[in-house]
Amino acid sequence: MTVRCAIVGVGMSRFAKQPDRTIEDIGRDAVLAALKDAGLTRDRIDEAFCGSSYGGPMIGQRILRDLGLTGIPITNVENACSSGAAGLRQACGLVESGRAETVLVVGVDKLTKFGGGTLPLEATDLDVANGMVMPALYAMRAQRYMHETGAKPEHLAMVAVKAREAAALNPHAQYREKTTIEAVLASRPVTDPLTLFMCCPSGDGAAAVIVASEATAKRLGAPPVFVAASVLQSGRYKTGRRDIGYSELTERTSKLAYERAGLGPEDVDLAEVHDAFAIAEIMYYEALGFCGRGEGSAFVAEGRSHIGGDKPVNPSGGLLCKGHPIGATGIAQVCEAVWQLRGQAAKRQVENANVALTHCTGGGISGFDHGACAVHVLTR
Amino acid sequence: MPDWREADGGIRLVGAHCSACDLRFFPHREICPRCGALEGVAAADLSPRGRLYSYSNVHVAPAQFQTPYVVGFVDFEDDVRVFGQIEGDPATLTVEAEMAVTVGVVRREGGDEILGYKFRRADR
Repeated sequence: MTVRCAIVGVGMSRFAKQPDRTIEDIGRDAVLAALKDAGLTRDRIDEAFCGSSYGGPMIGQRILRDLGLTGIPITNVENACSSGAAGLRQACGLVESGRAETVLVVGVDKLTKFGGGTLPLEATDLDVANGMVMPALYAMRAQRYMHETGAKPEHLAMVAVKAREAAALNPHAQYREKTTIEAVLASRPVTDPLTLFMCCPSGDGAAAVIVASEATAKRLGAPPVFVAASVLQSGRYKTGRRDIGYSELTERTSKLAYERAGLGPEDVDLAEVHDAFAIAEIMYYEALGFCGRGEGSAFVAEGRSHIGGDKPVNPSGGLLCKGHPIGATGIAQVCEAVWQLRGQAAKRQVENANVALTHCTGGGISGFDHGACAVHVLTR
Repeated sequence: MPDWREADGGIRLVGAHCSACDLRFFPHREICPRCGALEGVAAADLSPRGRLYSYSNVHVAPAQFQTPYVVGFVDFEDDVRVFGQIEGDPATLTVEAEMAVTVGVVRREGGDEILGYKFRRADR
């Protein structure tokens, strides 16, 4: 018999360009916010995980040192954009198996240290040595997707416009000014057909969650949010053809998550998905089962994924506008999902939110769809 | 091992072939990525031409790459897909165009130009 895992505390730092602050200070902001939200003191944390892609060695210890939260098992997790979410999966496993009672997960990255531009990738990778950058990979997905489905650049722009509308309602978001389809299309080209507003910004931020057993959650008093599924998968290496306009990895990971939660895409009331680039959100509507294959562009055009639609996606503003400090992303998605399920999302609140799904995936490696993908299903 | 060679007045990409499971693949690896065979993987040419699967004109990239430059995936015979830079005007490209292999500067390291395989439209 396994223990039911609950989320008892969530917190975020500011998501913004914060070149003058240290990554340790940014991480600490999120941990303190999560402890406060849970109503827990630091001595109640049995174990901690820190997800970060560019934070460097011992990033978890460096953050928790300044809180006096040391001497417990601390594990640092690197899995590109899924780093934080991969740490959360470890934490849930510990609670469910009874090996820990209360576990902290913090995700953090500080991308302004690179001075802007595309994310640095490993030069030993053949494609990277030949000029692959993350926005080029997504641009090629977009090009192929448009070729096969008849979708237009305007559909990509609609995703960005929707993200800005949501972010305008979210005080945690990095970019909060509303925009228009025309302005998105006219923003400067990054990797054709993707323009600047169709790409997530560079930024710095951290997010933290505290998970605990159902019994501990009940003792704390606040209505808990339960983790109904926590699934991690890796991409499959392939040397030949694959459909880059459809994510096999996201489909496979989400199917496992639905199976474990005993729920389906029709039960999801809101989703936070990995819209690092506008085409990604359209592809993930399909791979997560929110619409049929090739129907993603119509899905956003019809307003179905807007906050008032029948399947709100990225009510936080998503990676495009809330921001995407790599290691923090999977945990920040869970923060938003928890606020939505508790009814604490203020102006961006999705009505009757009972089931939320979070999805992050990433890692540009030649021959992979992506390196990793994590899906969590949360219920209230 | 170089991943291209001159042959028949043109450039051929050199990948590998696994005699155990008959997989042709690129780039060359000593172990077959499909069946895991440790022996019987030998260098093998890819077909001289392929089809452009998708492409993009890149305007933002690390300093060693001179922007803008075009990249794409090209599908060769026997189910082998290769990523690379594409020479020529991106406006002339279309998905499914027939592509040939060429050699050119792919990036700069210090003052050095690094040569590597690239693609170009086969009919131009």
